[in-house]
Amino acid sequence: MKKQIHLNAFEMNCPGHLSHGLWAHPEDQRTRYKDLSYWTQLAQLLEKGKFDALFLADVLGIYDTYEQSADPAVRLGVQIPANDPMLVIPVMAMVTKHLGFAMTASTTYEQPFSFARRMSTLDHLTKGRIAWNVVTSTLQSSAYNFGLTDSVKHDERYEIADEFLEVCYKLWEHSWDDDAVVKDWANQLYVEPSKVNFIDHKGKHFSVPGPHLSEPSLQRTPLIYQAGTSGKGKELAAKHAECVFIGGYRPEVIKRNVEDIHRQAALFGRKSGHIKTFGVLTVITGRTTEEAQRKLADYSSYFSQEGAVLHYSANTGYDLSEYQDEDYLQYTETNHGQSLAALFTKDAAKPKTVGEIKHELGQIGNRGLLAVGTPEQVADQMEQWIDQTGLDGFNLMQVISPGTLQDFVELVVPELQRRGIYRKEYETATLRQQVFGGTSGRLPEDHPAISQLRKGNTHDAITY
Amino acid sequence: MAKKLHLNAFEMNCLGHLSHGLWAHPADQRWRYKDLSYWTELAALLERGKFDTLFIADVLGIYDVYGNSKDAALRNAVQIPANDPALIVPPMAHVTNHLGFAVTSSTSYEHPFAFARRMSTLDHLTKGRIAWNIVTSYLPNAAHNFGYSEMMNHDERYELAEEFLEVVYKLWEGSWEDNAVIIDKNNRIYSDPNKVHKIEHNGKYFNVQGPHMSEPSLQRTPVLYQAGTSSRGKAFAARHAECVFVTGTDTSIMKRQIADIRRQAEEIGRDPSKIKFFTPLVAVVGETREEAEQKMKVLSSYYSHEGAMVLFGSGTGYDLAAYSDDSYLEGPRNHVQSIAERFSKNAPNPRTVGEIRQSLNHLRGTGLYVVGTATEIADQLQQWIEETDLDGFNVRQVISPGTLEDFIDLVVPELQKRGVFRKEYEEGTTFRERLYSADSGRLPDSHPAAKYRRQA
Repeated sequence: MKKQIHLNAFEMNCPGHLSHGLWAHPEDQRTRYKDLSYWTQLAQLLEKGKFDALFLADVLGIYDTYEQSADPAVRLGVQIPANDPMLVIPVMAMVTKHLGFAMTASTTYEQPFSFARRMSTLDHLTKGRIAWNVVTSTLQSSAYNFGLTDSVKHDERYEIADEFLEVCYKLWEHSWDDDAVVKDWANQLYVEPSKVNFIDHKGKHFSVPGPHLSEPSLQRTPLIYQAGTSGKGKELAAKHAECVFIGGYRPEVIKRNVEDIHRQAALFGRKSGHIKTFGVLTVITGRTTEEAQRKLADYSSYFSQEGAVLHYSANTGYDLSEYQDEDYLQYTETNHGQSLAALFTKDAAKPKTVGEIKHELGQIGNRGLLAVGTPEQVADQMEQWIDQTGLDGFNLMQVISPGTLQDFVELVVPELQRRGIYRKEYETATLRQQVFGGTSGRLPEDHPAISQLRKGNTHDAITY
Repeated sequence: MAKKLHLNAFEMNCLGHLSHGLWAHPADQRWRYKDLSYWTELAALLERGKFDTLFIADVLGIYDVYGNSKDAALRNAVQIPANDPALIVPPMAHVTNHLGFAVTSSTSYEHPFAFARRMSTLDHLTKGRIAWNIVTSYLPNAAHNFGYSEMMNHDERYELAEEFLEVVYKLWEGSWEDNAVIIDKNNRIYSDPNKVHKIEHNGKYFNVQGPHMSEPSLQRTPVLYQAGTSSRGKAFAARHAECVFVTGTDTSIMKRQIADIRRQAEEIGRDPSKIKFFTPLVAVVGETREEAEQKMKVLSSYYSHEGAMVLFGSGTGYDLAAYSDDSYLEGPRNHVQSIAERFSKNAPNPRTVGEIRQSLNHLRGTGLYVVGTATEIADQLQQWIEETDLDGFNVRQVISPGTLEDFIDLVVPELQKRGVFRKEYEEGTTFRERLYSADSGRLPDSHPAAKYRRQA
């Protein structure tokens, strides 16, 4: 069988996600993001298109690096307003049977105890269709919202993330034994008390005795997504993530990152087959090349370069308003998103001027791969990128919502199915099984949550 | 005209809420608490019964005082397993149009910035049908789960809660002006930056810059519920709450409590009639009284006495397993003070531990308990409202959803016939409009949150 492509839709609970300015397009429906029906309709569309998951991004502060002001972000609606991602999931689960839901949550500002229960609740309500996109927060403005005087330093963020994950694993995997829930009606015994354990975690950043308040869900630990491609981020992904996002648009750089993740994961004792990698992809398709190009031109006329530039500035820490167009950015180990900082500096084929960077950011699909064309052309491109890079699939961005995904589901999905590289029907059960197959929704044995935290060993930190 | 009464259903996202042991009754459906359909069916039932809200309790730790062990709580499934309360709300909102949802959340362990956004998100998704039951956490195990070596003392919990409310009021009421969101497609302006403000809160417990991440929802601040009845809790309720829970079985004490909170509210400039009071209700209804009593007898046979002592232990701090029957409790402890005061040897009529133990071996609960025909139950409800100035009841389930089905099929029509309960939902989109027959979903100007609004 040919290698199967996996697809997620990339979304956020806000009017302006990454297609800056497109909310103003007459066909765009994003201003309905506050209505349950926006989300239920989207979920049904994705299930029709046999997607793995709807992936929900999130942010906890405003983008105020550019011009040292929050005004441009507010005016253009760049990820503000932005509502909570988890609360739209249960209702989407209600109208679907197979679609998974990947929710972004930061390890920098959440408390692992209540967070673990939220994820378990979601895994119960969706019957095992939950994934967690593990992020660490970089924004200065988020830090100020959570009472810190400065954002947590890059390396320390990852150290906290590592311990946060450890606490969650203990709660999800080791607090309740598999046979703890006995459901013995006759003896009025739902839980066997001796099989529910305190976790007694005492670490550098967290102290949590437990027990976990939720009984075990189908997956226990949600499917773990992670996006870091900086040094520390890659290490975190290699250790913990089952699905890894690889940004960027140069196949040779993506390939390097994919190989790096697999190589580092092997060092942690993890099997290569237990990790899938996803690129970021924008697809604009039409029945003819001309139709697709016409759409691109139409959408581009709405795209806000200012929105993209202010977003990039906040993510990287470079206030692009302070540079002349002919200046060059120097890559430095910033305290922000280092991989995005690298995109136009050390990862670029040749150094770019600020003017060139702004121009590139002003294009649709600026953060990843872009395919514009007929369904055949798009499918050819997708296959080619997969061959070139070793990616397993893509996170599809919306340009207009839900038009971009409607086009994709209607035109490209049948083409991928015809080629035998995309599922025609869902397999049953949990999200982890949709993505990796297998007979159980649980984490594999080689994952550190299992291999490093055996019962009876829960007082020890994960060590390698 | 007789006073109209309000009804909430009292629930929790868990197997065993307050009717300990009843999950094992053959007609009980609580074991389905992990299924979306359990909640959507319940919400549809409550909307058919014209209930004000579904009220969802919560807890963030295990009850480990009784027997100095977690085992009794687990053995009796006393609020463990327990899932998150907020996540079941949107699906219930999807299958209803009017029912409100009161979500319990603690000010002790949440961060106000992320919490405020969750509530705004819920208010958007439900189109203004959200209430927040403000609690301060009292469990030592919960404190430990959030990294505290010991529980904050009672007064400090309330001090922190005061500041928490100040922060969320600033985010909900003061960060975005009413006309900040303009969605001007021609000029590509989503929000007017001059009308979105940082809150720059710098306090003792919290520093929060803002702006709020969510645009204003229909109610902005959710309808505020609160249950504190200690002296500190009462002052807090008088200042902030729009709906207050009071417990007790003595109507004259309850009447004094209600009058006291209304008076305190009036003293700080709030309209005392704008505070609604609720007490728990356990009602077992039958076509005849004998049938109701027979029903109660069967239900009682499933009741777990030990479960009740587990809950009592963590609610008061007293481990009943550690006392002899003829001893008295020393108090009060650093738990729920109002309950501790009632049971300690300093209570007006102190009881022995044996008597307290025996009193817990009953499904009656901490408010009005009535077994009888629909007529008898309606009489009792009206009588309590007249005697105490209560506004309504939190209906507790003995078996789920059987208790509410019976209540809605038999008692609600009787109340409607008497003109004391709505036949149709009141006009207005939001929960606050329906609760007060107000013309806006927003908090009244006399509420302390209103001072954080920006004048246009």
